[in-house]
Amino acid sequence: MKQKKECIAMLLAGGQGTRLGVLTSQVAKPAVPFGGKYRIIDFTLSNTINSNIDTIGVLTQYQPFELNTYIGNGQPWDLDRLDGGVFVLPPFMKATSGEWYKGTANAIYQNIAFIDKYDPEYVLILSGDHIYKMDYSLMLDSHKKNKADCTIAVFEVPIEQASRFGIMNTDESGRICAFEEKPKKPKSNKASMGIYIFSWQKLRTYLIADEADKSSQNDFGKNIIPCMLKNGEAMYAYSFNGYWKDVGTISSLWEANMDLLDEESGINLNDTTWKIYARNSAEPPHYLGLNAVIKNSSISEGCEIDGLLKNSILSQSCTVGRDAVIENSIIMPGAVIEEDAVIKYAIVGSSARICKGARVGEDLAAPNEKGEWDIALIGPDTVIKSGSTIKKGEML
Amino acid sequence: MSNMMSVLFASDNESKLNELTIHRTTASLPFCGRYRLIDFILSNLVNSGVTTIGIIARSNYNSLMDHIRMGRDWGLNRKNGGLAVFPPYVMNTSRDMYKSKIEAIYSINDYIKKAKEDYILITNGNVAYNFNFAGLYDAHIAQKADITMLTYKSATTARRILPVIGKNGRVSEIVFSNSQSNSPADVAMNVYLMHKNLLLELVESAFNRGQLDFEKDILMSKIDELKIYAYNVGGFVAIIDDIKSYYYESMKLLQKSTRDMLFDSYGSIYTKVKDSVPTLYEDKAEVKNSLIADGCNINGYVENSILFRGVKIEEGARVINSIIMENGHIMHNTNMSYVITDKNVKIKENRNISGFETYPIVIVKDKTV
Repeated sequence: MKQKKECIAMLLAGGQGTRLGVLTSQVAKPAVPFGGKYRIIDFTLSNTINSNIDTIGVLTQYQPFELNTYIGNGQPWDLDRLDGGVFVLPPFMKATSGEWYKGTANAIYQNIAFIDKYDPEYVLILSGDHIYKMDYSLMLDSHKKNKADCTIAVFEVPIEQASRFGIMNTDESGRICAFEEKPKKPKSNKASMGIYIFSWQKLRTYLIADEADKSSQNDFGKNIIPCMLKNGEAMYAYSFNGYWKDVGTISSLWEANMDLLDEESGINLNDTTWKIYARNSAEPPHYLGLNAVIKNSSISEGCEIDGLLKNSILSQSCTVGRDAVIENSIIMPGAVIEEDAVIKYAIVGSSARICKGARVGEDLAAPNEKGEWDIALIGPDTVIKSGSTIKKGEML
Repeated sequence: MSNMMSVLFASDNESKLNELTIHRTTASLPFCGRYRLIDFILSNLVNSGVTTIGIIARSNYNSLMDHIRMGRDWGLNRKNGGLAVFPPYVMNTSRDMYKSKIEAIYSINDYIKKAKEDYILITNGNVAYNFNFAGLYDAHIAQKADITMLTYKSATTARRILPVIGKNGRVSEIVFSNSQSNSPADVAMNVYLMHKNLLLELVESAFNRGQLDFEKDILMSKIDELKIYAYNVGGFVAIIDDIKSYYYESMKLLQKSTRDMLFDSYGSIYTKVKDSVPTLYEDKAEVKNSLIADGCNINGYVENSILFRGVKIEEGARVINSIIMENGHIMHNTNMSYVITDKNVKIKENRNISGFETYPIVIVKDKTV
């Protein structure tokens, strides 16, 4: 007999993340390294356990191998439980048919039996590609207080950017009266964060109806939410005021990493009451050599450094040779930067090698006309030969 | 899976670590920025497939228990075998706290008998090295040895056990070196491999005669009867038993070749996971030739030093030739040289603390200077 759970979480981790280019050619977006020792998914997993939700289904589909290995039995997040814990849920064959997850709603639909097993009152729907620290239990309190069928977390964005998001228009009580996907003329600046709490029986009914509708794209934002609104269900917005960043593009991934070096940004990872957990690699402390110069940077375990590092993030087990220069860049785990290499405004993927004297990226003064930084990107395991130059915004 | 189990001695009677072991056993002494000494032997055992490990803790074992928990961080939380910790007073037969290795082994003989493994490794928690015991086991079987002891080539031999080793590796004599001799020699690491039936037999017979000293009363007195062989451990071996050796061996880790031997030879060294953030360097940070663990915040000058997890170095502080353990906080404009600060030590503004290479100053846990 399974114990009844009040609320369980379903984490959508199947997106392909094509906008991250070569970084997601081998791994799913949630498994992309972040902040020196984390993966993007660590934030959502840690938030969930820190919010006292101990049962999580992780829906994977695209390049799941590394993500599955990373999650393992959930031990790093204290999710190895007798009852509950973390479950990786890939699409599977049924007796009569089998199919991929067609959309976000279909992914949940295909796992109705998993959710029913815990007989929850509420289901929290999360996505695995955001950097933020959020107490979902407060959102759940608000959901209960409003006697809502659905609560959507919203984040107030500058109104001029609002047309890039799904925007919630609410009345004074916070009840959602309209939802517009990427509106040309936004009426509000409350952007959906892709975090939903549903009363499970209500959502279950809608998922079944949505699946029966052959014209539906089986997507929460495009189908389930508009349909519930149309039917007048009790839907509320929950405003979140902390740090939140979608890291769906190279530019935003770079910005979110840089925010870790900026005390003002509000994403303080050094908070013992809300730790972000990660699977640990057994590495010794990092070593700074006689020629190392480090300014405003973050360095993880297992690195050996003899060069210059400024405004940069160096992940685990990287090597930086003598007189190499790394500025405003992110170096992912195991990368080797040989002597005299120069790296500026770049992301260097895991286990890449930048050979002696190579140049990657250029100094940038400001984002381009689209508001994005022209970050040079070197893919995982890529070797940049001596003497080569990789220009700003180039991807290899 | 290996046919060896291990009994691991967490405390060493010979310890002269004074201030550093007031609050802990030698095995839980912090070492190399993020480890405790016991991490090395635990990781070596696990990497060699030895997963039935009984830890004998004598005194001050709270910090040890806190560190190893149930062995999860070493993959030792098992249904079969795994970790067993034997604190003093809870042993089967003894009414008193055990006084020696012989008494301790005698009092847990049930645990040893019940284990499914046939061979036993006697190990200890005060040595840092990276080693795979499978090679030792193969040599032991091939030589049809009764006991095989681990040795290493040491530059100093003061207060060590020195086996006299013949050409075929057989030990013909065991000598205690009490002098301050500094000539290099083969030094015993107090690590032994033997069949567990032989161990139980030897220990019971010694216990019944009131003999206490494993090395003197068993090994030395039976040196002709038993086939005792030596097995040399290459690479870096650090026996830590006083402040001087602690400081000296720690500082060797600033050399890459030493780190490679200790961390990169046979297997990874695991330790308790603390989920600290990466270390943050601010604009005034200047760091040379130092080992820095995660979770530090550095805005001062650090040279030839080892900083453990969560250390904070404020602007204007100068830390040279020093070891700052976990959560140390060195405030503005303080100068430190040849200092070892234990966990949670705070050195306030404008202090000048200086020891000497052969006599580093130790500041006790939780103190503010």
